[in-house]
Amino acid sequence: MAEVQLKHIEKIYPNAAGEKKRFGKKKQAAKKPSNLKVTDEGVVAVEDFNLDIADGEFIVLVGPSGCGKSTTLRMVAGLEEISRGDLLIDGERVNDVAPKDRDIAMVFQNYALYPHMSVRENLEFPLKLRKMDKAEIDRRVEDAAEILGITEYLDRKPKALSGGQRQRVAIGRAIVREPKVLLMDEPLSNLDAKLRNQMRAEIIKLRQRIHTTFVYVTHDQTEAMTLGDRIVVMKDGEVQQVGTPVEVFDHPANIFVAGFIGVPQMNFYDAQLNKKGDQYVVEVQGVEVVPSADKQAALKANNVEPQAITLGVRPEHVTIVTDENTPALHGNVEVTELMGSEVHIHVNDEGADTIIVSHNDGAEASAAMDKKPGDTVAFTFEGNVVHLFDEAGKNLEA
Amino acid sequence: MASNSAKAKSTRSWLGTAGFTVLALAWIAPIIIVLYDSFKKKTFINAEPFALPNAQTFVGLENYSNAVDKYGFIEAVGWTVFITVGSVALILLCTSMLAWYLTRVNNKVTKLLYLLCVFSMVVPFQMVMFTLSMTADRLGLNTPWGIMIIYLGFGAGLATFMFCGFVKSIPVEIEEAAMIDGCSPLRTFFSVVLPIMKPTMISTGILEIMWVWNDFLLPYLTLDTNQYKTISIVIQYMKGSYGRVDMGAVMAALIMAVIPVVIFYLCCQKHIIKGVAAGAVKG
Repeated sequence: MAEVQLKHIEKIYPNAAGEKKRFGKKKQAAKKPSNLKVTDEGVVAVEDFNLDIADGEFIVLVGPSGCGKSTTLRMVAGLEEISRGDLLIDGERVNDVAPKDRDIAMVFQNYALYPHMSVRENLEFPLKLRKMDKAEIDRRVEDAAEILGITEYLDRKPKALSGGQRQRVAIGRAIVREPKVLLMDEPLSNLDAKLRNQMRAEIIKLRQRIHTTFVYVTHDQTEAMTLGDRIVVMKDGEVQQVGTPVEVFDHPANIFVAGFIGVPQMNFYDAQLNKKGDQYVVEVQGVEVVPSADKQAALKANNVEPQAITLGVRPEHVTIVTDENTPALHGNVEVTELMGSEVHIHVNDEGADTIIVSHNDGAEASAAMDKKPGDTVAFTFEGNVVHLFDEAGKNLEA
Repeated sequence: MASNSAKAKSTRSWLGTAGFTVLALAWIAPIIIVLYDSFKKKTFINAEPFALPNAQTFVGLENYSNAVDKYGFIEAVGWTVFITVGSVALILLCTSMLAWYLTRVNNKVTKLLYLLCVFSMVVPFQMVMFTLSMTADRLGLNTPWGIMIIYLGFGAGLATFMFCGFVKSIPVEIEEAAMIDGCSPLRTFFSVVLPIMKPTMISTGILEIMWVWNDFLLPYLTLDTNQYKTISIVIQYMKGSYGRVDMGAVMAALIMAVIPVVIFYLCCQKHIIKGVAAGAVKG
């Protein structure tokens, strides 16, 4: 186990020589992937990344493709040069230390097993390179194989294994070394949905059995929520929020985090934040919603002025209104999806999409299931579940 | 209707088989003729080259013993094996490393080097042979070990081209995993990359072996033929002065020269096919 500290870490990919002169800045901007910042030095893939990872902590870097999460992980691994900032493992600066001397191990998305070696040889390889004695190598290989349930495949070649088995071997090769830090780069992305769920549970169990610091990269927010002690949400090379899964889910720092974390995605509405006396009131599509007391207190503490805002509500917090006298938003049902224990109703209200999640039992469910495409539906939400974002997308309560 | 169609298909298939059999026989006929001519008395080879040996023309293994005893065939085999094994080993080692470097280090210099390698494949040997033989002579490369360097230069183009294509298909993460596991770049190459390259290594090796083994012009022009003769040079030397040719010895030498390559090819045939098809489909 080890503490890992990332201090003002940046990764800048220099512009290709001559490219700047030939194309000029306008053309470069058009060529860059996603919305990464472009400076005179080059494309900024990771910008001012700060994080203290505690001993034995499980950190998950999550974000959409091209947000810099894998680049950050590769910088920790030593596979990418750090353009600026300091990387410390157990207090020692390791920016210029070779990957093999950092005492880290890494699991890759495509397994990266040595195809010409058997499973046993794959597991033994890093230990042999460290000139460990045979008895110790055998013990560690047997232990890792048992933990991961791959004992019976030890003499097979990787090509004779299924995707899930290969990923177990890849994890096994990483854990036999008992590294200070275990890095995982989207290890479950190549697996089918069922196997991914199984392996996710395996990783949780593995975490309980081995004592090491984990840094895990994924674009799947479900993996992030279920695995991480803390989640780092990234976008366009910048950290958007660092927090526990509950913090990130319940108190998203900005509109991006609110939209990225949670399935189905949070519903957003253009709204107006007003003040009535001492109380904040949100007006959305002619309906007034009064934020709960704790939200009122947070808005007051931040001295928030009345302004045009974006209101966010999670689909599971939206309820269908059957009483015509209750003030409610209205829309037309587009699609109804039965998801097993839940029903998802997609509603369109003058271009604004709303998803309503209703549990598949009780009277509410039967009302939800009765909705047909084209039907008008009335819905509302309580003041304690709303999230308020300013025009820049920042959470007004934060 | 269905029966007519099946009949037509069967006829077409039979015609195809017959056609290709004739073609195959046409290709193999010269080798068969050389084989039975090698058992005929040398005077009859010129007079009746296509006639099968009979009691009058058959000489048993006399031509073979002549080729071995009179013309130093065994010594030539030794030098040919030495040059072939040495050159091909050098080509495979150097070009596989070069291909790895060219593929993984992506800059202008490596791109230029790759283009030069590809370009070297289209330069005909005849275009450079005189300047090359003079240069080789001046640099003292006119020995069996010196000629290996010349073969390396000429063989590098095709081998690098083939290896580069294969290295591109190796996921870079495997090498990164090796780096994290504790490999130096050299160890990564020898312990991880080289074993993965095995199929291409074998197919490239076979192509290079067949080329070096059968090559005549390059060793003839560069080697000091007073001291070192390869099989193809020895066969040329069987042609004596005033156009006198010991056809019996030539036929025997040709058969003896071709046997090792044929055996080698038959043993490695599946690897050639594997190497050619490598990367064609998802593994």
